[in-house]
Amino acid sequence: MLQALMPLLVDGLANAALIFFVAVGLSLVFSVLRILNVAHGSFYAIGAYASVSLSLWIVSAGLSPWLTLPALAVSAAIVAAILGPAVERGFLRWTYGRPESLQILVTFALFLIFEDLQKLVFGVQSLYQDAPVQLFGTSEIGGILYLNYQLVLIALAVLVVVALRLLMSYTRFGKLMVAVVADPEVSQALGIDTRRVYMAAFTLGVFLAAFGGALASPTVGVAPGTGPEAIVLAFAVAAIGGLGQIEGAALAALVVGVVRVLAIYFAPEFEAVVPYLVMLAVLLVRPYGLFGSVRVRRI
Amino acid sequence: MLVLRSVKARLGGVLVLRDVDLAVEAGRTTVLVGRNGAGKTTTLRVIMGLVPLAAGRVAMAGTDLGALPSHARAAAGIGYAPEDRRLIPAFSVEDNLLLPALALRLPSAERRARLDQVYDLLPELKAMRGRAGGHLSGGQGKMVALGRALMVGTRLVLLDEPFQGLAPALALAYAEAIGRIRSRMPELALLITESSPHLLDRIVDRTVQIERGEIVRDTVPAA
Repeated sequence: MLQALMPLLVDGLANAALIFFVAVGLSLVFSVLRILNVAHGSFYAIGAYASVSLSLWIVSAGLSPWLTLPALAVSAAIVAAILGPAVERGFLRWTYGRPESLQILVTFALFLIFEDLQKLVFGVQSLYQDAPVQLFGTSEIGGILYLNYQLVLIALAVLVVVALRLLMSYTRFGKLMVAVVADPEVSQALGIDTRRVYMAAFTLGVFLAAFGGALASPTVGVAPGTGPEAIVLAFAVAAIGGLGQIEGAALAALVVGVVRVLAIYFAPEFEAVVPYLVMLAVLLVRPYGLFGSVRVRRI
Repeated sequence: MLVLRSVKARLGGVLVLRDVDLAVEAGRTTVLVGRNGAGKTTTLRVIMGLVPLAAGRVAMAGTDLGALPSHARAAAGIGYAPEDRRLIPAFSVEDNLLLPALALRLPSAERRARLDQVYDLLPELKAMRGRAGGHLSGGQGKMVALGRALMVGTRLVLLDEPFQGLAPALALAYAEAIGRIRSRMPELALLITESSPHLLDRIVDRTVQIERGEIVRDTVPAA
């Protein structure tokens, strides 16, 4: 059984790693800006489109395929640098302190706009460029062949958890973010320019989602529907972990990844619904998620 | 140094400050007294930019503060200790104190000097510097909020109801701390709101009474 489960498990964890990138950004934006961004999955899709376009161009221009690796991060950074400030300054800031229903409507409108813009810019056919996966090759462990790229994805997710924790605990920006999460008003009175913290935190959230999408693009074709699928799963993962929890999002992604693998093995017809069944079960027992609590807003 | 002229402010559409004229001088301790709901806290929040000015003018050393966002007022040297403390629970006492220095990008020598001064003025903070802000008693939290305000407030410090809810011994310690601040920082302007001002009797230079959003009495006790 282990022989059959192991490849599934690597596959499931690699998928979980990608969803973690979206979920942790969603969580971060929620705790700093106090907005549940329905359009967050769109950044995943746009990151994927940007990365696949850049990779296709690199390959067609006859450049070294190794350039497609930095292109993954570069395309996410470009997407974040443009869309982060534009969306936060242009739209979200007008909704701060307004009713949640308005915030959901505004971000839902953004989601619809982004969906159509993607079709307009990238068309409706599936785009695919797997140079990064090819470059990493495969390894054989115990007679089973693994895609090294998937192992890299899992390692990157672990790295991002550690990096975010270090950012929060030891850097100026991280500490200012923690203060703003705890008390935005007193933060202002103590000299924190909260507008900049909001913009920077949102841009970081966009980068994480876009990076997740960019990393996903060499493993699957990018087509319309990528964004909605990402946001729904990311919502489930963020809710299971507790909104605003970095480690919570990581653990939740892990749980969802493993449960999906078990479902594929034992009851394939349930694969698509198990993340939400887990979410239902967790929220019934712990309404604020595994790591969440009502009073203490952590990040 | 700080001047409020015909200040009006609304909370949720209700005119809470109807006509506030106030002058706070450098090197002086001004106490704003009044009943609950008279507008003391709102006055401090208007000075800090946390409540928008509906009419009138707030200026410090000739500079109009009205157009400045809150964080820029802190940068201009105004420290604020809210009544409910509002420490960052996840931060240690020392990190709470250092937060404004971090926010204002003070050079590390300056940061160190201000922290040392705060520890000097409030030695009890040094003893609990490693404890989490969320694990302090109300009185200890007030001391930390005072220290944090001193980290920013090089020209003006606003203390909102500092004695509210303090045990008598702590209230005394707090009043002594204010006395030390007064003598060690001779140029600092202090504006304190208080519903029971007797604890400040010895250090008050000026008492201003506010009622229903208006200044009704402004007295300078005879020396």
